[in-house]
Amino acid sequence: MTFFLPILMAVRTAEDDTNLVERMQGRDPRALAELYDRYGRVVYALILRVVRDPGIAEDLVQETFLRVWNRVHGFDAQKGSIGPWLLAVARNRAIDYLRSAGGRERNSVEYEETDHPALYTDMEKDILASDKARVVKSAMDKLSPNQRQVIELAYFEGLSQTEMAERMGQPLGTVKTWVRSALKNLRDELGAVVSA
Amino acid sequence: MNCNELREFYELYAIGVAEDPERAEIRAHLNRECEVCMQGIKKAREVAALLEGTAAPAEPSPKLRRRILAAVGVEERRFGWAPFLAAALALSLFAVVYFIGQQGDTQRELARAIAVQRSQNIELTRLNEAFAILNGSDTAVSTFGGGEKQPPKGKVFASPSQGVLLIANNLPPAPAGKRYEMWVIPKGGKPQPAGMFQSAADGTAMHIRHGITAPNESLVAVTLEPEAGSDQPTTTPLFAAPIHGLVP
Repeated sequence: MTFFLPILMAVRTAEDDTNLVERMQGRDPRALAELYDRYGRVVYALILRVVRDPGIAEDLVQETFLRVWNRVHGFDAQKGSIGPWLLAVARNRAIDYLRSAGGRERNSVEYEETDHPALYTDMEKDILASDKARVVKSAMDKLSPNQRQVIELAYFEGLSQTEMAERMGQPLGTVKTWVRSALKNLRDELGAVVSA
Repeated sequence: MNCNELREFYELYAIGVAEDPERAEIRAHLNRECEVCMQGIKKAREVAALLEGTAAPAEPSPKLRRRILAAVGVEERRFGWAPFLAAALALSLFAVVYFIGQQGDTQRELARAIAVQRSQNIELTRLNEAFAILNGSDTAVSTFGGGEKQPPKGKVFASPSQGVLLIANNLPPAPAGKRYEMWVIPKGGKPQPAGMFQSAADGTAMHIRHGITAPNESLVAVTLEPEAGSDQPTTTPLFAAPIHGLVP
């Protein structure tokens, strides 16, 4: 299973993101090209992981970048990397597609959340740097199989805890415990990374 | 619900698994830009961001970039090697054609210059020859065509040592497939072929024939003959001039 294989994110997420955002806010289409060059592969990998169809994934990557392009004015260029917001938009676009394709209710709350780019500022600027991927993989490896599965189902399939319980044939309470313990363990393991 | 009650749901919210009523409550706090919840969600988002970067590497098609940029009005030129190679090839072809053309032009110019020089040499030689005849101490001159309306006119210079020089005007160029042929006709004898010539566009002509001897009271005549020449005149002479002094 290739899940949680750390992606080699050869992305420069540091200071030049600030300039990139400012140029996008100035409606410089070349800045969008640079944003794509910097994050396009990561965004595509994430969306493909969710929808598992290259054609659909590319459509959703396009929607993602255009959505960011159209909403970038709400992003404070001085307060962090645009990467986490971009990935959140990408994931939500992909999960939204998956849910509607599967006849499931769209997760409208989370979808709207990404319309508030301010929620993605103040994050460590290089949180998506490649060296972090190893730490994340290590943290994931330390989870129990059940904890890993619920995180996977939540992140990459957009299942609610109730849906997970149905999928896994487990009581809702058990699933909730796994989710909470998994998040706590991740927080403990990744604390040094995210708090750096 | 207050922020403190919502705190433990921030991470669930951040990964999209929070459920109502907490989900709706957090959303309401965010919508009114509650600082505590904003900070809490931002912190929770960090773990989510890390996890979102863990998908297996994958490469989208190169067309996707152009599609996205085209959607915001940027027509991306294909920036691969192909256009460079095409441009280089075109440039090379152009250079080859250009230099071949240049070389061809140079060669043509050279050939033209050589031809002109050769022509001028021929002309100069002919003129020298003509002058030699004209200046020859033994040269005799006679005229022809006088008195006729628009007749070919001219002079014949005959030198036993130099040959015969014919200078004519009012002699239109011979038609296609035809040439003028000069004859030396001894009195009562058989015409001797004395060379083919053509007049210029302005009706002038100069023809030289060396090595001709003829008794006195001979004639120099010109007829229109087939291009290849004739052994005997086949048409009536256009003009004839008596010559003297071709006695060896």
